[in-house]
Amino acid sequence: MIRTDNLKIGYKQALLEVENFTLQKGQLYFLIGKNGSGKSTFLKTISGQLSPISGSVFLQNKQSIEIPFGEFPKTVSFVSSHFPNVDFLKVEEFIALGRSSFTSYFGKLQSTDNKLITDSFSRLKIKHLRGRFTSQLSDGEKQLVAIAKALVQETPIILLDEPTAFLDYSNKILVLEMLKSIAKEMNKCIVLSSHDIDLSLDMKCDFLAVNFEEKIMQLVNHSVSKKELLGFCF
Amino acid sequence: MVLSKKHSFILLALLICIPIFALVHLSVGQISITPKEFWQSLINFHEHIPNEIIAREIRIPRLFMALIAGASLSVVGLLMQTLFNNPLAGPYVLGINSGSSLFVALSIMTGIPFFASDLGIITNALIGAFLFGLVILFFSRLVRTQIALLLVGLMLGSFISAFVSFIQSASDAQELKVFTLWALGSLQKVEFTQIPLILLVTIIGIIGAFLIIKPLNILVLGEQEAKLLGVNIKRVRLIIIVITAILTGLVTAFCGPIAFVGLAVPNLVRILFKTQQHFILITASLLMGALFILICDIIIQLAEPYFMLPINVLTSIIGAPMVIFFILNRLR
Repeated sequence: MIRTDNLKIGYKQALLEVENFTLQKGQLYFLIGKNGSGKSTFLKTISGQLSPISGSVFLQNKQSIEIPFGEFPKTVSFVSSHFPNVDFLKVEEFIALGRSSFTSYFGKLQSTDNKLITDSFSRLKIKHLRGRFTSQLSDGEKQLVAIAKALVQETPIILLDEPTAFLDYSNKILVLEMLKSIAKEMNKCIVLSSHDIDLSLDMKCDFLAVNFEEKIMQLVNHSVSKKELLGFCF
Repeated sequence: MVLSKKHSFILLALLICIPIFALVHLSVGQISITPKEFWQSLINFHEHIPNEIIAREIRIPRLFMALIAGASLSVVGLLMQTLFNNPLAGPYVLGINSGSSLFVALSIMTGIPFFASDLGIITNALIGAFLFGLVILFFSRLVRTQIALLLVGLMLGSFISAFVSFIQSASDAQELKVFTLWALGSLQKVEFTQIPLILLVTIIGIIGAFLIIKPLNILVLGEQEAKLLGVNIKRVRLIIIVITAILTGLVTAFCGPIAFVGLAVPNLVRILFKTQQHFILITASLLMGALFILICDIIIQLAEPYFMLPINVLTSIIGAPMVIFFILNRLR
């Protein structure tokens, strides 16, 4: 699903060397590491916002830089760490924008689009938020709504930049459990960055861990001990 | 596009108000003209009947320009607010009119005959608007925050005013008068025969705005999100700047730099309609903008026997407090 090949990432110069690995469908991966170690850079590289310094990323066996601009929204959806702060935008309108790359020139929704939107509401259990304005949502609700928008995009890959950062404990667990079940049941490859090491360990998912000193990123099995993981990252 | 009941109601109200106020607008003035004379001036014009001349050369062009100026500036304001993700953006605040002003000042005061002609002024206003659209676009890439962009716009405005003052100080009394009158703004400079061309250009600009409603709807989420959803940002940005230049340049050329309409009307529309659907926002801004200037101009004409109230003065008197209100509400 996501395969890296001698990948080096960064803005102008290489910030991080990424080990060769393949991330599978149906799995949730936790991207962990220090602030400024290159987690967001990695997500930006995978989502096509940034070109690799060297080496390559393959998404569904296609090299990322060869995927046309218009096809990216159908391959990768990205949930940014900051929810857009917009007045008078209804939840359902916000989620419908996830269908943008599928709709016609004027963006009219078809019945298939509407069905996907309704499905995403029930999966994330946010039907009651449908007619609310996004500016009136709590942080937890915003996160679920943002995930719903990523779901209607129907991409095999979903990336999330610190989705649990502003959430309380119960919402953190809710969001993580939700993402794990989405990965499994909808057969998607989900990568999220997080600083909640303890919670991530409880989730029994594999890690993409960044070693700040050596500037490398490795795929680490979920059976790793907390001590080993912390030793590697921090 | 399904219009909610509330939205259709407000749109319908606007659609009814505009012709009513248009009739009021036509009928105010020191000389009363009968409907028959208006009709005659359009279909069977007699050059020797003074009332028909007033109808055809003064009243009708003025009404037309009020509608066009209000609609154009409001749509442009809306496009800029969406593009820059900033409720305080607008052609006046970001210095786009100032760009036109500078070029018009140059054209009036250079002494080159072509530049001082009507076509010269229009061309220069368009070039000025387009160039300053590009300048603002350039700065919007450099600065990160909304406030910084507004400050850049304001500074650009003052910078240009200084420059314009400098040109003024070097020009003679006659040129100075032409420019000052232009800068105060007037809806009365259009001639009957120019109406079709202005209408055509305006319609093209407005159709252009309707053609990009989908990217506009997505741009509300910010440029990064829009890119991730497959919007070709560079192209949309260019289209918006071109539409802005055409509509702002045209209105500014004929009416002078009209302040605050482009800023105030789209905000009013958003508050009234509570939506981010640009089909509705553009339609409503068009109508509301046209109505706004129409009412302003009726006030101006009613005041005329007592004192001169240039359009730019009135829109500033109404607009500036509104801006302060928005700042207090949004950017606390």
